[in-house]
Amino acid sequence: MLERILGNFICRRMASLERQRLWWLKRAPAGPLRDYYQVPFARPTTPSVSTDYLALDLETTGLAPERDELLSIGFVPISGHGLQLGGARHYLVRPERAIPESSAVVHGILDDRAREGLPLAEALPPLLQALAGRVLVAHSARIEHDFLDAVCRRLYGCAFVAPLVDTLELEQRKIVRAGSPIAPGALRLDALRQQYGLPRYRAHDALSDAIGAGELLLAQIAYRTTTRPLRLDELMRRY
Amino acid sequence: MDIEELEIRDFVGANRPFDQLPVEALVSMVEAITIRYVRRESEVSGTEQGEPALSMVRSGAVELRTDTGELLTRLGEGDLFGYRASAHEVAEDHHYVALEDTLLYRLPSSVVDRLCNEHSQIAWFLAPAGAGRLREAVRHHDDTSNSPLNLTDTRLGDLLEREPVHLPPGATIRQAAELMSEEKITSMLIVEDGTLFGVLTDRDLRLRVIAAGVDPESALSEVMTLAPVTASVDTNAYDALLTMARHRIHHLPVVDGDRVAGVVTASDFIERHTTSSVYLAADIHRQDSVDSLADIAQRLPQLVSNLAAAGASAERTQCVVTGIADALSIRLLELAELELGAPPVDYAWIVAGSHARGEFTIASDQDNALILDDGYDDTRDGDYFAEMARFVCNGLARCGQPVCPGDVMATNPEWRTTLSGWQSRFSHWIDNPDPTALMHGCTFFDLRHIYGDASLSATLRRSMLERTRGNSIFLSHLTGNALKRQPPLGFFRNFVLSHGRDETGVLDLKHVGVVPIVELARVYALAGGIDEVNTRARLNAAGATDELSSSGARDLGDALTFLSDTRFRHQARQLEAGTDVDSLVAPETLSRFERGHLKDAFAIVRTMQRSLAQRFGR
Repeated sequence: MLERILGNFICRRMASLERQRLWWLKRAPAGPLRDYYQVPFARPTTPSVSTDYLALDLETTGLAPERDELLSIGFVPISGHGLQLGGARHYLVRPERAIPESSAVVHGILDDRAREGLPLAEALPPLLQALAGRVLVAHSARIEHDFLDAVCRRLYGCAFVAPLVDTLELEQRKIVRAGSPIAPGALRLDALRQQYGLPRYRAHDALSDAIGAGELLLAQIAYRTTTRPLRLDELMRRY
Repeated sequence: MDIEELEIRDFVGANRPFDQLPVEALVSMVEAITIRYVRRESEVSGTEQGEPALSMVRSGAVELRTDTGELLTRLGEGDLFGYRASAHEVAEDHHYVALEDTLLYRLPSSVVDRLCNEHSQIAWFLAPAGAGRLREAVRHHDDTSNSPLNLTDTRLGDLLEREPVHLPPGATIRQAAELMSEEKITSMLIVEDGTLFGVLTDRDLRLRVIAAGVDPESALSEVMTLAPVTASVDTNAYDALLTMARHRIHHLPVVDGDRVAGVVTASDFIERHTTSSVYLAADIHRQDSVDSLADIAQRLPQLVSNLAAAGASAERTQCVVTGIADALSIRLLELAELELGAPPVDYAWIVAGSHARGEFTIASDQDNALILDDGYDDTRDGDYFAEMARFVCNGLARCGQPVCPGDVMATNPEWRTTLSGWQSRFSHWIDNPDPTALMHGCTFFDLRHIYGDASLSATLRRSMLERTRGNSIFLSHLTGNALKRQPPLGFFRNFVLSHGRDETGVLDLKHVGVVPIVELARVYALAGGIDEVNTRARLNAAGATDELSSSGARDLGDALTFLSDTRFRHQARQLEAGTDVDSLVAPETLSRFERGHLKDAFAIVRTMQRSLAQRFGR
């Protein structure tokens, strides 16, 4: 607990994510998380087109990271402003407790199927490995970040930090800048995809939604690009 | 793995050519995909990972334009473009530009090449040019080559299974009967010094010998049929059958130049053919009134439906329908002569347009005319031929051939004139090729003899070709006329995409499909003085001359086959549904496969139109 308070305190004081990475690198136990921290984060001044991203979606039993559990992980890498399907992965995670009925309604993952999943300790390392050196992209990325932080602390006793791009926040910023009101539901992934002329996907598993968020980012980038190449820090979420 | 359940895999696997891939190959291909988003009005990069890229449109739309802004093609959901997938040679000055916000699935060339090497179906589809692909499609589609419908492809010479059995004219009837029994044949050829003198059949033995009480020891020459109707070894079997039906004979001696090659009998064909169309032609020749002819002709739509159901190609069917139309004209002319008496001067009944080209369809109307001998006197003979024309044209109309909306019929006095009248008319059209002249000319440049004095028709055709051959002024006008109708660029969603025109929701397979090829073939034929009328025959003949490259002739032939067959299937469906028959196809009723090949066919026609324009255009 002391560690955690100290960590958060230091986080706030840290001027740059990269310095946080180095700080946690020293403290992370040997294993997947330390390996993840071994790879430098992308510099905020990097042109977006040269940045490696990983679009991620997590499905969970609820919205509280400290209480709820992961049910599935889906991700796909993005390089050079292209989604690389070859790197796409989808893992079902076996929760330790029964799945609440309310969440099963949302993602359709029932106890039977969840039992086929991997224990969290096996599902997390491939994600951390794929994330190394990449910028995490998600729709409402704070949730993905906070869940990963919670599970890293549980499994490795150490915090999770990563450069984040939040496709929802990007859109929110745009609307706020334009001074328009935000209609209810207008920032949902499906609604935004439709707005950018992206196809509608029937499925809503973690991988489909990760791809969905990744494609949305490509569209947002295309619409933000002017004659001057876009830089990563113009897209990144402020911690 | 993880890709297996993705909708992306389902989408890619639902589209040509990847629907041909086994599941594992499809999954590994999808793993090589890079997804890209292209904003509206932005240019699409031609490369992926530093290699030329093949792209599939997942959503949105892309256009290919030249530097000068000319639209070459437009691509929608599920369409492929880029590496190995362009019907066009994509040049430096060609750009793919997103017409809408577009999501693309892209593969680098190395992956495409590997797929092509491992899966011939993919290689076939992603062939560098559309022509080869179309040829394959035409070959695969025409799966009737082994069916009994192939009479139009069968030479009589190929039906002859034995050396001819013959006797000299001086041999006795008994000798002939004995030899026929021995050889188990139903007719005897009577030949001396290699020349055919006559023929004697089983039926002749019954009627002319036994029933007539003729001595079997008499010479054959007393009872044989003298100078029988013959056919050349190169005649196609279908025409031979029509000849037999017309003359009501069951044995047809076949000659190879001057040499007697053998004899074919009606039963030789029956094994090879359902013969319904031949029975119909034979029935036509047995009718003695217009009423009964009209009854018989009602069977034609059903016959065409049957042919379509049996998988006959458009070309075979056109050959059958033309044959029936010929039979109807001939029989009506015979009946007209019976009614009106012998003609006062020689004449030739000719047909023009699609009927002349042997491309008559169930939806065609009549185009016919009369060439009269120069001894014709209008006041003396005018009524006779006016009456003949009225009799035949009305008869044809009752037999299901609508009257020509342009009044190109022998009932129109303008198209009922003497040989020299026709010749001066052709000279006028050829020397003053204004639009009206070309309109009439294009109908009559396709001209075929049907009945009467064939030398009149042949003379007219010959003098016409002498005037057109190498006549660059005339040919440049004719070319200009032929290039008026440009095939569409392709399809975009459910619309037909044409250069310089709005998108339309309907494809006219006649006017933008078949007709441009017919017109090209006509220019080649008239330019080269080629005495063929049928479009394919013209293309083949032109391909053997300097008028057209042999590959050009072959490609156009394939395009013609595919376009005609697509139109024919459409018409067969209309016949089946009992609706009016036309050539107007809604793009949404075409499969992706058909659309792809239609696009290839259009590209071939446009290429040949361009090269013709360079040659004769001004």
